[in-house]
Amino acid sequence: MKPMKIILVIGLLFVFIPTLSFSRGAKEEKPIRIALSGNPDTLDPQKTAGTLTFQVTKSIYDTLIEPDEKGVLVPALAERWDFQDDGKKILFHLRKGVTFHDGTPLTSKDVASTLARIKDKNTGSPHGAEFSPIERIETPDSSTVILYLSSPSAPLLATLASGWSAILPAHLIETGHDFGSKPVGSGPFKLKSWVRDNQILLEKNPSYWMPGKPKVGGVEFRIITERSIQVQGLLSGQLDVIDMYDAIDLPLLQKNPNVKVEKILTSLVMVLAMNTARPPLSDLRVRQAINFAIKKQEILDVAYGGGVPVGTFMDASDPYYVDFTSLYPYNPEKAKTLLQEAGVGTDRTLEMVLPQNFEPHVRAGQIYQEMLQKVGLSVKIRLVDWSTWISDVYRKANYDLTVIGHTGKLDPDSRLANYGTDKTYVRWVHPEAASLINKARGIMNPNERKAIYQRVLEIMAKEVPFVYVGTSYRYLGTRKTLEGFRIQPKLDAYDFRHVEVR
Amino acid sequence: MASVSSPLESGPTVFLSGQKGLRIPFFILLLRKSIRLFLTMLLIPTVVFFVLRIIPGDPALVVAGFDAPPEVVENLRSKLGTNRPPLEQYEEWILSVAQLEFGTSLISNEPVLKLILDRFPLTLSLAVAGMLCALLIAIPLGVMSAVRRWTLWDYGGMVFSQIGISLPSFWLGIILLLLFAVKYPLFPLFGGDSPWHLVLPSVALGINRGAVLLRLVRTAMIEELGKEYIITARSKGLPELVVRYRHALRNALLPVLTIAGIQFGYMLGGAIILEQVFSLPGLGRLILSAVFQRDFPVIQGGTLFVAAVFSLVNFLVDLLYSLVNPRIRVG
Repeated sequence: MKPMKIILVIGLLFVFIPTLSFSRGAKEEKPIRIALSGNPDTLDPQKTAGTLTFQVTKSIYDTLIEPDEKGVLVPALAERWDFQDDGKKILFHLRKGVTFHDGTPLTSKDVASTLARIKDKNTGSPHGAEFSPIERIETPDSSTVILYLSSPSAPLLATLASGWSAILPAHLIETGHDFGSKPVGSGPFKLKSWVRDNQILLEKNPSYWMPGKPKVGGVEFRIITERSIQVQGLLSGQLDVIDMYDAIDLPLLQKNPNVKVEKILTSLVMVLAMNTARPPLSDLRVRQAINFAIKKQEILDVAYGGGVPVGTFMDASDPYYVDFTSLYPYNPEKAKTLLQEAGVGTDRTLEMVLPQNFEPHVRAGQIYQEMLQKVGLSVKIRLVDWSTWISDVYRKANYDLTVIGHTGKLDPDSRLANYGTDKTYVRWVHPEAASLINKARGIMNPNERKAIYQRVLEIMAKEVPFVYVGTSYRYLGTRKTLEGFRIQPKLDAYDFRHVEVR
Repeated sequence: MASVSSPLESGPTVFLSGQKGLRIPFFILLLRKSIRLFLTMLLIPTVVFFVLRIIPGDPALVVAGFDAPPEVVENLRSKLGTNRPPLEQYEEWILSVAQLEFGTSLISNEPVLKLILDRFPLTLSLAVAGMLCALLIAIPLGVMSAVRRWTLWDYGGMVFSQIGISLPSFWLGIILLLLFAVKYPLFPLFGGDSPWHLVLPSVALGINRGAVLLRLVRTAMIEELGKEYIITARSKGLPELVVRYRHALRNALLPVLTIAGIQFGYMLGGAIILEQVFSLPGLGRLILSAVFQRDFPVIQGGTLFVAAVFSLVNFLVDLLYSLVNPRIRVG
C-alpha cells in the first residue's frame, strides 16, 4: 500500500499549503487590478513599438509633454516650451523638483541623453527615424533644453508626447542599464515585480511631481489572453478594469450591478484594404464598385460592436477629419454596373487575407465576402497569424483584399506618411497626394496645414484604395466603485494617476 | 516515443528465435537507446529550426512595429542576426547548443535558458499534480470496477472512463473554471501565484488521464485476481480485504505505474495546453508567445528542452522496465 499512502500525503499537501497563503497582509493598500491581453516585449520604451509596452510604461516614465483627455498637448516634465527661428529651434523649460525613482533629480542632461539614446543606431529604436529632424541638442542650464532642427517639423511635438520619448536618467544610460526589465523613470508608479505571462506589479511613487497623485497604492497588470476569462474576472470582482474592443460580451457585463461599462470612440480607422497594384483592383471602377457594395454601418455594428462611419482615411474624432461619407452610399446596382463596365465577372476570384488572432476582423471579413458575392464578385478567405500578416500582407503586399484597423496617431503625418507612394501596403500611387503629405510636414501654421490635409483626404476619399468603414467604439468595463481611469487618446496608454476607489 | 511500443513489439521476437531468449548485454541496450535518444534530440530542433526559417514572419518586424521604415527593420535584422543565410545560423546555433548555450531572446533580450528554467517548475508541478490526480481517480475506481465486475459500480466506472477519455482537457478546464471560480468562487480564475492556482488545472488533467489509467487498473486487477496465488491465499483463509489489497493490488500496480511513467510525457503536453486556459505562466505559454512573435531562439530552445525532457522520461522508464523485466531486453 506504500504508493497509495505517498499519493495521499502529497495530495493532502496540495490542499493545505494554499490555505497558508490566504493569511498574507491585508494592511497595505490594495492595487488596482487590470487585465492585459498579452505580455509586453520589454519595459524599455525605446526598444519596441508594441502598444502593450506603452500601456504599462505610461505609469513608470514621464514624457516632456503629453496629450490631455482631448488630445491637446499639455505640459508634463516640461513646464512650457517656445518655438524660435521659424520653428527651427525649440526651447523646453523643465519642471523643478522632479526626481527619478532612484532619487536622482531630473535635469536637462537627462533629456539630452535620452534623445541621444533614441537617435543612436545601436539602440535600435523603431521610432528613431521620427527624431531625425533634431540636429543638435544644447543644455545651457540644468532646467533648459534647446533642440535645433534641420527644418521645421510639425509632427515632432506629438512624437515628444508619445510613450517612446519617455525620459530616462542620464547616469543609468551611461552605464548601459537594463531598462527592459529594471525600469527607472520619474513616473507615478515604480516596478515592484514582473513575472512574465503572469503579472506586472507597480507600487506608488510617493514623491511624484503631481500634487496628491497617484491616489491608489499600486497597479497590478494581470496578463490574461482569454477574453472570456477577463470578462468573468471583472464580473466576479477579481479584476477592476478590462479594456475591450469586442462588444460580444457586453450583455453579460451590463446585467451586473457592480460593473459599469463606458463606451468610448477609438481612434481606429477600420478598413477593407485593396491591393491597387493588382488587377482588377488597379481599376478605379472596381474599387468604387466594392465601395458601393458595402453596408458600412452593418459591418461596424455586427463585427466591431458599433461605431461611426467615415468616408476617408482619418478617424471620426480627429481634428483633421473631414466628412466624405456621402461619396459612396450603399448601391448594389451601381456596383454591378461598374463591375460590368470594367469587365470583371465571377471567373476571377479575389483572395481576402485575414489576421486570424483578431476575431472582429475575421467576422468583418466574412460579412464583406457575403456582400461582395451579392454584386457578383467571388472572394476566397485565407486566415494567417499575426506575424505572417505583418510580413506577408503589410510589408510585401502579397494579397488582394485584407481587413484591418489603423490605429490612431497624435499627428496626422504619422497616419498619412508614405501614402501616394508605392511604399504602403495598398500600393496606391498618387504623386499629388504624396507631395502634399510631404509639404504639410514642414508647415507650422495649423490652418494652412489643415487645408493641405483636407485636400489629401479628399483625394483619398475619391480614389478609394480602401473601403473606409468607420471608427469603432471600445468598451471600458470597470467595477462601479472605481473612478478616474483614463485612456490616453490616440496613444491608448492607460493613465492611473487620477484613479480612486470609493 | 518509439520506445513506448517496444515492450509489446519485441516480446515475441525473443521466443521466435527458438532459443531460450536472446540475451543482449545491458550496456549494449543502453548504448542503442542512448543513440536513439541523441538522434531524436538532434532531429526535433533541426526540423523546428528550418520550419521557422521557411514560414513567413519576421522577428525584426515584431520589434520594430509594422510601420517602421525599411532601414530601421534592416538595422534590426542585422542586429538580431536574422538576415544571414539559414545554414550559417544553424551551424552557429547547433555549436552553441552543444556548449549548453541557448542564446538570448530576440524580443526581451533575456537568456533563453533562464526563461525556460524560470517557467519549467510550474509546468512540471502541473504535470506531477495532474498525474497524482489521475492515479487518485484511477486506482480506487479501477479496483472497485474489477472487484465488483458487471455491477453498477463497474458500469459507472466504465461510463466515467469513456466520458473522461472523450472530453478534451481544455474544455474540462473551462467548465471547471466556470463552476469553481465563477459560480462558486472557491479557486482563483487566473494566474499562477500559489499552489491553489494549480488545483483546477490538475483536476482537468487528472480526469482525462485518469480515465485512461482506470481501464488499465481494472484489467490488471482482474488478471491478478484470477491467478493461482490468489486462490492459494484465499484457501489459506486470509481475509478477502488482505487478498485483494495486499496481494492482488500490489502486483496489479506494477504495469499501471509503468504506463503512468510513459504517459508522463503526454501529461507535459496537456499541461502546456491548460496553461493557456488557466493563464498560468508556464513553459507552454512561453513557447506559444514566442511562436506568435517569431522569437526564434526561444522557440528553438523551448522545443529542444521539451523534446529532451519527453525523450529522457521515456528513456528512463524504458530502461527501468527492462531492468525489471529481462524479457524486454531486445532493442
